[in-house]
Amino acid sequence: MLTARNSLGIVFFPAFDWAISPTHPEREERLLYTQDQLREEGVFDIEGIREFKPEVATREDVERVHFCIPSVETVATKSHLVSAGGAIRAARAVMDGEVDRGFALVRPPGHHAMKCVHGNRGFCNINVEAVMLEYIREHYGNKRVAIIDTDCHHGDGTQDVYWHDRNTLFISLHQDGRTLYPGTGFPMDLGGPNAMGRNLNVPLPPNTSDEGFLHVIDNLVLPVLEDFKPDLIINSAGQDNHFSDPITNMNFSARGYAMLNERLSPHLAVLEGGYSIQGALPYVNLGIVLAMAGVDYSGVREPGFNPEKYRQSAKVTDYIKDVSDKVRDLYFNPPPCPKDGEVSGDYYVRMKDIYYDTDGISESQVESVVICGDCSGTVKLETWSSVNPLSVGIEIPLDACDRCAGIGQRLLEEAHLKGSYRYVQMINRRDREYVQYGF
Amino acid sequence: MRLGIDVGGTHTDAVAVDREGNVTATAKVRTVHEDLLVSVRAALENVLMQVDAQDVARLNLSTTLSTNAIVEGRTEDVGVFVSSGPGVDPESFRIGRHYYTFEGSIDHRGEEVAALDGDSLESAVALCRREGVRVFAAVSKFSTRNPAHENIMHEAITSDGTWESEAEFVTLGHRISGMLNFPRRISTAYYNAAVWRTFNAFADAVEGSVRHYGIKAPVNILKADGGTMPLSLCRGLPVESILSGPSASVMGIIALCDVVEDCVILDIGGTTTDIAVFAAGAPVIEPEGISVGSYPTLVRAMKTRSIGIGGDSRLRVVRGDVRVGPERVGPPLCMGGTEPTLMDAFNYLGLAGTLCDREESERGIAKLAGLWDIFPEALARRAVDYAVAAIRKAVEELVAEINARPVYTIMELLEGRKVRPRKAYVMGGPARAFQSLLAESLGWEVETPRHYEVANAIGAAMTRTTQVLELFADTDKGVMFIPVLDIEKRISSRYSLEEAERDARRNLIALLKENDPEAARRDDLPVDIVEAQSFNMVGDFSTLGRNIRVKAQVRPGVNGPGRRGSNGKNGNGTVRNGKGGR
Repeated sequence: MLTARNSLGIVFFPAFDWAISPTHPEREERLLYTQDQLREEGVFDIEGIREFKPEVATREDVERVHFCIPSVETVATKSHLVSAGGAIRAARAVMDGEVDRGFALVRPPGHHAMKCVHGNRGFCNINVEAVMLEYIREHYGNKRVAIIDTDCHHGDGTQDVYWHDRNTLFISLHQDGRTLYPGTGFPMDLGGPNAMGRNLNVPLPPNTSDEGFLHVIDNLVLPVLEDFKPDLIINSAGQDNHFSDPITNMNFSARGYAMLNERLSPHLAVLEGGYSIQGALPYVNLGIVLAMAGVDYSGVREPGFNPEKYRQSAKVTDYIKDVSDKVRDLYFNPPPCPKDGEVSGDYYVRMKDIYYDTDGISESQVESVVICGDCSGTVKLETWSSVNPLSVGIEIPLDACDRCAGIGQRLLEEAHLKGSYRYVQMINRRDREYVQYGF
Repeated sequence: MRLGIDVGGTHTDAVAVDREGNVTATAKVRTVHEDLLVSVRAALENVLMQVDAQDVARLNLSTTLSTNAIVEGRTEDVGVFVSSGPGVDPESFRIGRHYYTFEGSIDHRGEEVAALDGDSLESAVALCRREGVRVFAAVSKFSTRNPAHENIMHEAITSDGTWESEAEFVTLGHRISGMLNFPRRISTAYYNAAVWRTFNAFADAVEGSVRHYGIKAPVNILKADGGTMPLSLCRGLPVESILSGPSASVMGIIALCDVVEDCVILDIGGTTTDIAVFAAGAPVIEPEGISVGSYPTLVRAMKTRSIGIGGDSRLRVVRGDVRVGPERVGPPLCMGGTEPTLMDAFNYLGLAGTLCDREESERGIAKLAGLWDIFPEALARRAVDYAVAAIRKAVEELVAEINARPVYTIMELLEGRKVRPRKAYVMGGPARAFQSLLAESLGWEVETPRHYEVANAIGAAMTRTTQVLELFADTDKGVMFIPVLDIEKRISSRYSLEEAERDARRNLIALLKENDPEAARRDDLPVDIVEAQSFNMVGDFSTLGRNIRVKAQVRPGVNGPGRRGSNGKNGNGTVRNGKGGR
């Protein structure tokens, strides 16, 4: 009888009745073969591995994180709420001590969903990890958390949600944005003025293999975590770095994913992308499950895997060593202020244009954050898009100082008085007030 | 008339039930563990003194034979041949002394990734032969998608060219169940082969006795899922006969009472209380299968929970708290025992009827209470409260667990049916004593059926044949496969979910009619499609075909005069994903 060294809770929710469209990569079939593999391997019979039924995230769970324009109901379908609710269930199992680790094997994904949501981009509507993490902070206290995103695409949504948060360290390992959607995620993007160095991007060249990923884990991620000392480590476990993935160009293997997970040792993992649904997902997910549970995964090998064939070139190796060293230095010695944006009075202001590829929406933003030495800083986000008129979101962070909290309340009053916003929303994390106006 | 015999741990019960559902004969004899046939014969003889053997139309037998053989390790050596491919190390599932693993791999769609290693297969066969192994289990990963490697192993075991094969029986993994679970497939196939000889010897003897007594009716064996299996089929699948005891009791209640709504069935015995749940017109079944010892299997079974509370449970006082069980010390003082038990507490309070010696109970309870400076009545009261609360807690946990079962569609998650029992049926020795207390604690109606002391045998008698099969179709590959029947068929690219459901239904009914004369006479067999899923398989952004999975069952239930049991409801619990190219 196999026994897990770490007890593991798995929330498996394949949403067998939901697709973006019939032939879209994000379709009913996506986790079918993963389910077949996990069941055939008997993983749920391993002593210490338990399967949990997902919950449905509530509107409040989403409102705690996102400015949904015009409302949560219009941008998030039931499937998104179940996906986030699945992650919440996994988190609860870990936080309540039911299990040591949790893996939310859910779909649809969420890491491209930003702070402000007008629709679906990169198959994501709401940020599953962020909804889960803020649920944790709401119910279990203000934890210091590291999110390591190992999806092949830059986790631009999670980066955006936590851009100003000094208590959340976000590290994204991804295929270089010059060669892949969403085209962002460069080393100099280090977070907002109050949280410099809390956002790290590691763009990797195409054809990076197991060796390259593990180098970044050993030489950058682990030393940085050692310094940051998070209470919780979360892995955004996208699986599209796999050599067989149809929409990316990397050479990561199932065993490589398992090794990465073993070294990172996250408390919680959440499935993100990964669209090689027959050749990769069944094996990568099996590898991750076994690694998280501390069960021998050396027998996990996907058909067609040949380490020789997928070995990275010396040039790729050198490049990765270089970028890894550079980003580590940036964490320990960040520059004094962000490269984009400018100081305007008490605020640091930047403009952003965001394109929602799935829904074809164009959004523009003006984001102003209070420059503050004592907290993450209150944020004002003015937004307008091809589907919504000018609206505003104001967030008072969980760690807000009295000054920033006061500024947040004043900004809200001004937004009402100014009167030119179609929707006005407020996320007051400090006092747990979430309000929407404009209906 | 139907005969039911339940070979239990302590007693072997037998009943005869006539066409109208009346119990016309009962018998209770002690179970002789060393030779179960003795008990079966004694019970049968006893019943046949009360009714005429000529009138028996069906004989159903629930026996602990295979279970005991497994639990007590009285099994035969099995050559276990396993082909795994990548994944969890197959050494983790080693079972028995002759366990061999081979290179070779089949993937989740049934595609051969690596051929089976013929050389090591041959040497394993030779080794087994040398060691005198006569029965075998052949199991490969994903054999329910493609049994090719199991078939090759079978071939190698039974028809090696160089010597006369001495293999007498080979269990193939895919013939046991169409479900996915490789470790369970291994252990189930192993147990099936391990008890094959014992079971068949017993089956021969039982059939001999039955014919000797002049019964011409077919013999059926009770399974753990609340159904029976024709003895002819069970000879090849003896593992299906394990742990059928709770099933007999639950089906007994269903036969005795007109159970239609969600409810809980409690069998309170001397040592334990067994809890089962009836929902959506049938007993709730374990999602994958029952465990034997530490080995989970693919044997379909009712979901039951057993707690250590029974009439013979020992009373203890721990730091002033009164506890009951889980150990058994019975019989109770009032029936000649040496230590006070739960039954004595009931007796002290005047809740145990008139069979018991009240004075013995009073003396024992008072003595125990004296040691801890508690009023005897308070001790008795607290013991009974403790037992009732423990049962209530276990019932609530079991129902919560059933409702917390994972589901895989948004539809089911949001609108899935919840089990909400509002009634409990109680059987077993202390049933009457518990009835009103449980009703109060649970807040439900609690019923104690007539004949509850032989409900298990009645359940055995009245239970009808069940069968389940899985169908798997891949229109891209053009293949439909029903593992348990070994039916493989070429299909066109237009093969639909409806056709798959029809094929599943048709094959299930054909199998039943072929093996069970009673089923053959019926044209309204309660066949459910319990799962029906069709997925579009997309490659490079265009549809290649459909991946179809259907599971069909003959619902567990009782045969009776019209009303009885669970014929009413239709299609409950069916899992469907309407999308995907229906």
